[in-house]
Amino acid sequence: MAYQFAEEKVFCSGHHACPGCNAALAIRYIVNTLGKDTVAVVPPSCIAIISGPQPLSSMRIPVYQTTLEASAASAAGIKRALKARGKDHVNVVAMAGDGGTYDIGFQALSSAAERNEDIIYICLDNEGYMNTGAQKSSSTPFMAYTTSTPSGKPTVKKNIAEIMAAHRIPYTATATTGYLDDLVRKVQRAKEMKGMRFIVVLIPCLDGWGVADHEGAKISRLAVQTGIFPLYEVEDGRKYTLNHGPQGIPVEAYLRRQKRYRHLTGEQIDEIQRMVDSDWEYLRTKFDS
Amino acid sequence: MCAVAKEIPPVWTTGWTEELSTGTWRSATPVHEERPSPCKNACPAGGNIPLWIQQVREGQYHSAWLTLVANNPFPAVTGRVCHHPCEVSCNRGEYDGAVTVNALEQFVGDLALKEGWPLPGPENNKDARVAVIGSGPAGLSCAYQLRRRGYRVTVFEAQPEPGGVMRYGIPAYRLPKEIVAGEVNRLLATGIELRTGTVVRGEDLDSLRKEFAALCLATGAPRAKVLPQFNPAGGRVISGLDFLGRVNRNDIPAIGRQVAVIGGGSVAMDVARTARRLGSQVKVLALEDGHNLPAQAQEVQEALEEGVIIRGGVMVREAAEEGGILNLTCDKVVLDPSAPPGVLKPIVIPGVSFQVSADTVILAVGQDPDLDGFPVRQGENRVIEVDHCQATSGAGIFACGDAASTDRFVSAAIGGGKRAVLGIERYLEGRGGNCGGEPVPDEVSFKEINTFYFPVAARVERKAADPVKRLQDFREARVALTEEEARAQAHRCFSCGHCLKCDNCYYYCPDMAVIRETLPEKLYGIQDRYCKGCGLCVEECPRGAIVLKEVRR
Ligand SMILES: Cc1cc2nc3c(=O)[nH]c(=O)nc-3n(C[C@H](O)[C@H](O)[C@H](O)COP(=O)(O)OP(=O)(O)OC[C@H]3O[C@@H](n4cnc5c(N)ncnc54)[C@H](O)[C@@H]3O)c2cc1C
Ligand SMILES: Cc1ncc(C[n+]2csc(CCOP(=O)(O)OP(=O)(O)O)c2C)c(N)n1
Ligand code: SF4
Ligand code: SF4
Ligand code: SF4
Ligand SMILES: [Mg+2]
Repeated sequence: MAYQFAEEKVFCSGHHACPGCNAALAIRYIVNTLGKDTVAVVPPSCIAIISGPQPLSSMRIPVYQTTLEASAASAAGIKRALKARGKDHVNVVAMAGDGGTYDIGFQALSSAAERNEDIIYICLDNEGYMNTGAQKSSSTPFMAYTTSTPSGKPTVKKNIAEIMAAHRIPYTATATTGYLDDLVRKVQRAKEMKGMRFIVVLIPCLDGWGVADHEGAKISRLAVQTGIFPLYEVEDGRKYTLNHGPQGIPVEAYLRRQKRYRHLTGEQIDEIQRMVDSDWEYLRTKFDS
Repeated sequence: MCAVAKEIPPVWTTGWTEELSTGTWRSATPVHEERPSPCKNACPAGGNIPLWIQQVREGQYHSAWLTLVANNPFPAVTGRVCHHPCEVSCNRGEYDGAVTVNALEQFVGDLALKEGWPLPGPENNKDARVAVIGSGPAGLSCAYQLRRRGYRVTVFEAQPEPGGVMRYGIPAYRLPKEIVAGEVNRLLATGIELRTGTVVRGEDLDSLRKEFAALCLATGAPRAKVLPQFNPAGGRVISGLDFLGRVNRNDIPAIGRQVAVIGGGSVAMDVARTARRLGSQVKVLALEDGHNLPAQAQEVQEALEEGVIIRGGVMVREAAEEGGILNLTCDKVVLDPSAPPGVLKPIVIPGVSFQVSADTVILAVGQDPDLDGFPVRQGENRVIEVDHCQATSGAGIFACGDAASTDRFVSAAIGGGKRAVLGIERYLEGRGGNCGGEPVPDEVSFKEINTFYFPVAARVERKAADPVKRLQDFREARVALTEEEARAQAHRCFSCGHCLKCDNCYYYCPDMAVIRETLPEKLYGIQDRYCKGCGLCVEECPRGAIVLKEVRR
């Protein structure tokens, strides 16, 4: 098996992502797949840092840095303006963190979805407010340590893919860096569609999760193989397709490799296993129809 | 490369991050490096296993064979009889079963014989003449490697036909004789002179030294060990080597209905299974307990399937002939665990002796070299003492194979023959120093394999023929892999430490620091300026072909 990706060279070396950063890796395949006819919208987040210290840019496309609340609205406005000027062929992509998606930018995102705005919205989900020092977001998983949940987050992760699918938008997908071919295919698919397209990409945060610099992709695969983060896509909020599901690997294999779960007891791991199993039991029924 | 700044409207951005150097952050650098696979390190013939398996996978059978015969001119032989330590150390063994290297080797070896591919000869001829004494795998490997390098080689062989144990020892049901003849003749056809029926004695070496610039002794271990309990004069006690030699010459000895084989090694299994094919009932009596025989597990298994009875933990105290029958008085024994390695010290369990009767007793208790009169120093274990270049104590005299080693394997003999050539070449060119000794990179361990890229796939081995049918004649007892099976099995090889140009390292770099030239061929490099030293490329390389090296500033 060997990968073959047709990349347009949009993303540049020299950016200031951490060594081994999976967000930078995902950005490479998002912008290089969307290509030069693209405008990116980026709110405050690691993505903003990676997009370059002003006045330098790491992306050879226009990048609009908006507020943390407004990514979807900004993207929608830019797209409408382009359309009005006869430049409908230009893709507009918002790339936001989980804090900017699940929490602070959610209102703008939900209403853009409700209006079926013609944008691609990609959430680079590293399960916390990471560039500001690893605080919790509503994407932080149950029991994970963050600096604002020092004994582990007591509530479960919000399920953004299901929320977005419930808006009945044309395309919703989950993806992650350990499956680059799957990620590239989903970005390519989104590029070829019209209307609101949403992809949530799980991004292991090396520092925030407590993972070795070289292990990001491996951890992301474990998230999939343990059933914690199945990879699937949903068309029109109804037609579900599974791409990569659990492979019978216990969640412990995933949790034990990350410092943010270091404090977990055996019982807590069992509890997480039961939650993951039951979430999967629920989700899998959707692939049948 | 990114375009220059002026192509872009100068709004906020004045340039690209490419002008920044993130390479200064790093404390380690990835280096693409070909590294030895554990199979290669384990192969006594030193074969480049990942490479030829890759060639099989790609259907490049002739190239695969050329890669194989660079080290081993007998792949169809070793593909059948090698004890295959390569498979024991194969990294895939820790995953879903070792790669069937041995069966693949047979596949390539057999195809070459079928297609009649000739071995590569010398590029140019040299004047120096070298004599090789003995035409077993060691002597022929040595002769072949000398010939490849252009030397003029003469092989002296006592027997009427070349091949040594391959020809006269190993039974045909494991190693068909046309396979041996095919590979031996092909080797001789590279321009090697063979003088059969010529025994070289110690006193002949002086005159040979005048005619030849160097000599290589590869006379094997033809002297069967005896046991004092058995009177060798009695025709009912014969040696395993003689027995197998006669059967291989089609001069079948009369051994009667009941045969006792003494010994628990590979030779004992060959003797027992041969005797079964001649119609006898066979009991193997071994000192070692039945689960720890020195013979390979598969041979023991096949012997049992063929109706051989194996009794371990048995020592024959005495043998007496009575009315044309040998009565063996046997004791039950255990081996003293405190004995030094390689030494068998049986302790008799009192009061449980028993009798075994036999028409013929065949001894298979080991072989020694026969070196009386040869002017070379021998060690305690009766083998010729050699250095790393297989040089003996005699000037210009080299030795390899069973005569110079207690590693009694065909592949070891082939490897020794090749090593001797390195020594001979140094000697003839008047160079000193040692053979080998260059530092080699660490071998690739299983934990360096990224198994995500290797879906689980079952190991498939050659099938055994039906045991009842096997006993009817000396036809080969195992069925070779089909081409389809061989290709599928070749796909299982991880190619440990050998870059397959899959581009994973290139694609997985978040910094685009891995560069890839595509012309004239794919070649990878690391951009010092940008590489942050994260090691993601190392981790995502499926096969350990990149290593992270610490940066010292
Ligand atoms: C019955 C049997 C089964 C075996 N099975 C296996 C197996 O399955 N797998 C495996 O890896 N190994 C096996 N071995 C061991 C293996 O065959 C030997 O280690 C290997 O053949 C050694 O090669 P060699 O060239 O050193 O010696 P040999 O193969 O013994 O060849 C030596 C040659 O030198 C000739 N010679 C000896 N003295 C003189 C002289 N004075 N002048 C001229 N010629 C002389 C001999 O006639 C012979 O042809 C087996 C050995 C035996 C005996
Ligand atoms: C309204 C608002 N609140 C707070 C901030 C400060 N802030 C900047 S980035 C950030 C974290 C964003 O987290 P996330 O969206 O998950 O991105 P990440 O840093 O994890 O990539 C915060 C809280 C802000 N810029 N705007
Ligand atoms: S000669 Fe033996 S050890 Fe070497 S590759 Fe062949 S089977 Fe393996
Ligand atoms: S997987 Fe292939 S290269 Fe690696 S040890 Fe096994 S046979 Fe050798
Ligand atoms: S990842 Fe692929 S291309 Fe890169 S070194 Fe390893 S085998 Fe070669
Ligand atoms: Mg985040």
